[in-house]
Order: sequence, then C-alpha cells, then structure tokens
Amino acid sequence: MDNALFVGLSRQIALRRELDITANNLANVDTTGFKVESLMQKVDPAGPARTLGAPNPVKFVVGDGVARDFGQGALRRTGAPFDLAVEGDGFFAVTTAEGERYTRDGRFRLDDTGKLVTQAGQAVHGDGGGEIVIDATKGEVLIAPDGTISQGTERVGKIAVVRFDNLSVLEKSGDNLLKNSANAQPTPASDAIVRQGMLESSNVKSVLEVTRLIEVSRAYEQMARMMDAEAELSRRSIERMGRIQ
Amino acid sequence: MQALRTAATGMAAQQLNVEVISNNIANMNTVGFKRQRAEFEDLLYQTLVTPGAQSSDQGTVVPTGVQVGAGVKAGSTYRVTTQGSMTRTDNNLDLAIDGRGFFQVTMPSGETAYTRAGNLSLNDQGQLVTSEGYLIEPAITIPPGTTSISISKSGQVQAGVEGQTAPQILGQIELATFVNEAGLEAIGGNLLKESGASGSATTGTPGTTGIGTLLQGYTEASNVDPVSEVTALIVAQRAYEMNSKVISTADQMLSVTSQLKT
Repeated sequence: MDNALFVGLSRQIALRRELDITANNLANVDTTGFKVESLMQKVDPAGPARTLGAPNPVKFVVGDGVARDFGQGALRRTGAPFDLAVEGDGFFAVTTAEGERYTRDGRFRLDDTGKLVTQAGQAVHGDGGGEIVIDATKGEVLIAPDGTISQGTERVGKIAVVRFDNLSVLEKSGDNLLKNSANAQPTPASDAIVRQGMLESSNVKSVLEVTRLIEVSRAYEQMARMMDAEAELSRRSIERMGRIQ
Repeated sequence: MQALRTAATGMAAQQLNVEVISNNIANMNTVGFKRQRAEFEDLLYQTLVTPGAQSSDQGTVVPTGVQVGAGVKAGSTYRVTTQGSMTRTDNNLDLAIDGRGFFQVTMPSGETAYTRAGNLSLNDQGQLVTSEGYLIEPAITIPPGTTSISISKSGQVQAGVEGQTAPQILGQIELATFVNEAGLEAIGGNLLKESGASGSATTGTPGTTGIGTLLQGYTEASNVDPVSEVTALIVAQRAYEMNSKVISTADQMLSVTSQLKT
C-alpha cells in the first residue's frame, strides 16, 4: 500500500539531484572550457517489463550516473597571446600538486620565471611531458595549430594536447580540471587544433537548462500530488472500513 | 537543497562580472588603461558514485559516476595587455609607448611604480612628472629658457634653449618590461606595482629588442572596446537572471514538499 509513496519519493530524490546538476550547469554558463552534465536515471530493480503470471515487482527510479557532454563549446576571440583553445577532441595537460590533470581551459600565462602556467600557476605540459619556458623579450610568440610555439624563426617548444579513447575515465575535480580516475593512458591528439588568442566558452545551452528547470519543477509537483492522492486514498479506506464494522 | 547554494554562487560570480565590466566602461577614456576580464572556474564536485569503480566481480566498471558540482567561483580578473590606439594630442610632453614597456614612476614613498599613461607635465623645478606630480625615473630636468622639447623614438630628450644653436641633450627615458605584464598589481591612479606573479623589472632603452618605441605628441587610449563590453554586460545579466530562476524553482519545489498533506 505504501509502495506508491516510496516510488514517488524515489522520483523526487532523483529530481532534486537533477535540479542540483542543472543549477551547477547554469552557475557555470560563463566558465571557460566547462562541459555540461545531465543526470542519467534507471529503473531499479531492472527486469522484464512484464512477466505473465509472476509477481510484478515494484520498481523505483534512481540516479544512475552523470552524462557529460564533451561537445565543442563556442570559441571566442580574446586576442591575448597565451589564451589557447582546443578545437576537436583533446585536452591540455597540467601538473598540479595532486598529480597530472587535464583541462580544456586554455587561459595560460607566464609566471615570474617565464614558465607557461595556468591562472592558478600549474605548469602546462610540453610535447615530451616537460615544462615550457618562454623568454617574452625575444619577440612575439606564435602558436601554430599543431601546438608548436615559435618566436620569430626559432622553435621554442610544443604544447602537448592529449586525448583519451574512453572519456568516461575522466572525473571533474573543480577549478576547470579533470582527473584521470582509471589507469587509461592518454595518447597525443593528432586531430585536435590549437587556436591562439581564443578561448572555448562553456557548452551549456541555457535554453535547454531553463527548460529542464521547468520540467523538473512540474514533475516534482506532479509526484507530490500523486503522493497526496495516495494518502487520501488510504485515509478514505480506513474511514469506510470503520463504518462497516 | 544544494541547488539553492549552487545558484547563489552563480549569481555572485555574475555580479563580479558586472563589476569588472562596469569598471572597464567607466575607464573607457582613461589614458593607458588596460581592460580586465573576470574569469570563472567550477567549484569542487561531490562524488556520489565513483566512475571506474568495480560494479561486479567480473571486473565490469561503473562507466560514469554521479558527480554533483557545487557551483562556480571567480578564478581571476585578468588584465588584457593589448595595445591601445594612439590619440594625437600635439602636446609635446605627451608620450605613448608603441609596444611593450612601462614608464617608471617614483612614488612619494620611494617605491617604483609603473604606468603606460604618458600624459606628463613639468613641476615647479622643471622636472618631468606624471599628472599626479610623481617623478619619472630616471629624472629629467628641463632647464629654464627652453623653447622646444623633442623626444626621440628611442627616448632621448633634447631641448632647444634660447641663445643656443645646437639642441641640448637632457637625458634618456628608460622603459621597464616584465616577463608577465598581466601579473602586475594595479594600485589606482593608472599605476601598477611589481608583484610575485609579474617577475622583476628589466629596464632598457626604447626601441631595443623586446621594448616598444616612444611617440611624442600622442597618448595611448584605453584598450576597452565599448561594443564588446556592452555585449558582455548583456550576457552577464542574462546569466544572472537564469541563476535566479534556479533559486525560484528550488524554492517552489521546497514549498510543494512543505505543503504535502500527510
């Protein structure tokens, strides 16, 4: 009898989580290199939709996983020489205190020693895995689509752009960084194009997210109404049974 | 509800964005001003189901976990150090730097500050000073009876003095450069200060490798582009609105829960 309430509750819990994820998407609508996420839901316990004759188990809904859309965000022009965007499948690799991290956020700068670092001061990997050091006084820095850095006629280094065969091994760790949570080895991304003086905007589509907000809030209301009706039903049946006696 | 707090971080971030944009627009006509932009980063994620975790003894793994983010934070306000356009003033004490470099200014405290604002003047002793009256380093004194001042592209200051046929060389203006110009700390009054992120100053003669040249009779306009600032303002406003929409949705859902009859 109470199962309908619990099924409704499981849906409401999933909807709240969906709202949390949508809120995070909308909060990051302007975050460089941000990738939009959505909640995947599944029926639990899973099984055949209907088995004749057998008892039909009550099914609940649970949040199963987060689907991350790694689609390309729009590129916007900034003109700053160390603003880089990756076009296509690939990530920049940076060294943090916790180990190697990957990012699509290419807001780089030079630190006081001339090393190419992220805004938080984490070293950006060069081709061979080492750091990239640039002497800014030697002239204009040009970064070619394949990541090669040159000043005048001199080749200074090359920015590493890596890719993963399976993107689901990546886990977000905040600060626009992604963590490799499995032992998957990244390989050089030969198809990716590095764009100098550009940044990749967040790929959140605000219309979709606002629509989802409405959908979530209506579905939540509907569940509440169903639970109300269910409670009303049991109240009435108790009343009637009392009268028969 | 996490969504309420997440949306609040989004609104705070967009507010900062608007503050930075309004400062840019307010300084549209400030000599030597470099526009700033606010940059954002996502906050920590709460991992509810770890991706890559074993889901059975057969070695199957959870393909994607459940990670719920906590919102957004301001990463940095980055100074965009592109060249501003040159404005002709015909004032022979106005100097613009074409390329890299900063004028060195001695502050009243004795510290050295740096500026791109080359609208210079003379003080009562004939020394070259900024519009606030701070001395330019190295100090250059214009002698009395000077009829004309000319400053070359490489920063040599010459004066035509009454009764002399040859111009008199008064001194040499030197510019400072930094490895990371964007890391300089703004202290107001068009002045910037050296910081840990900028590296130490290297001084040199204008026109040598890596240092810009000087243009007499020009000032460098700010590099604020009003059209792109106004566009950014619209984007920020809409993003703010959408985050407030999240708050009202979360509020509505909470009120539905609290009105359940059971």
